Amino acid sequence: MAINDLPILSALRTKMQWHQERQRVLAENVSNANTPNFRPSDLVEPKFDNNGANVGGAMGSLGMMRTSATHIGVSGGGQSFRGDGGKNGFLTKPAGNAVNLEDQMLKVSANQMDYAAATSLYSRSLGLLKTAIGKR
Amino acid sequence: MAEDGSDFARSMSIATSGLRAQAGRMRVISENIANADSTSPTAGGNPYSRKVPTFSSALDRTLDAKVVTLGKIRTDQSAFRVKHEPSNPAADAAGNVKYPNVNPLVEMTDMREAQRSYEANLNIISATRRMIQRTLDILKA
Repeated sequence: MAINDLPILSALRTKMQWHQERQRVLAENVSNANTPNFRPSDLVEPKFDNNGANVGGAMGSLGMMRTSATHIGVSGGGQSFRGDGGKNGFLTKPAGNAVNLEDQMLKVSANQMDYAAATSLYSRSLGLLKTAIGKR
Repeated sequence: MAEDGSDFARSMSIATSGLRAQAGRMRVISENIANADSTSPTAGGNPYSRKVPTFSSALDRTLDAKVVTLGKIRTDQSAFRVKHEPSNPAADAAGNVKYPNVNPLVEMTDMREAQRSYEANLNIISATRRMIQRTLDILKA
């Protein structure tokens, strides 16, 4: 089992990717704060189930389909080739008509703090692994 | 997602496009304020007319993101201020001088707005940099 297959690490990686993408969207909103007819957008938050798998968006790698119960399961892959009809990734939806700079700044700082939380959780989890293999 | 890990660089480039646009706007505003009293060099001619910056959001294909660009700089179509100054060399036959249609109050308000947007973009850049720093901190764990 590769390190990236650990549910907590893959969930944290998805979350970090989401924060990166959100930072881009927020940068777009702020830089277009004075552009006429510009509608700010935001990202839908990722949702995780109890096992840390991302629900709704297909962020994981595309795995092989199992057509028979006797096939060897591939870790980390989806169950279907069809996916969710091209709606993978995170949905961008308009939040209104005008960019509210205060609102955007709040979102940026929240994004930054959540990202910091995710990265420290990630490094803590790596620390646990290192403890387990006795390197510290 | 096109390439993983370059999202932060893209955020920075988008914010930089905002900085560039707002800086261009500041340049236009300072041009207006500096020329607030520039009359015509010829008698009875039109003075400096106020310039208006326009913004448009354009899709940057290399970044795959909507960056902001400073569009065409238009001129304000409102009427010039007219003063009766027969001794002025720019006065027309009736002794009236046309002064630019620059209102310092409007320019100051615009300047504040440009300043605020500039700071917001700077804030994005510093937040992105702090996030990159957090990513690098994983290595130290």
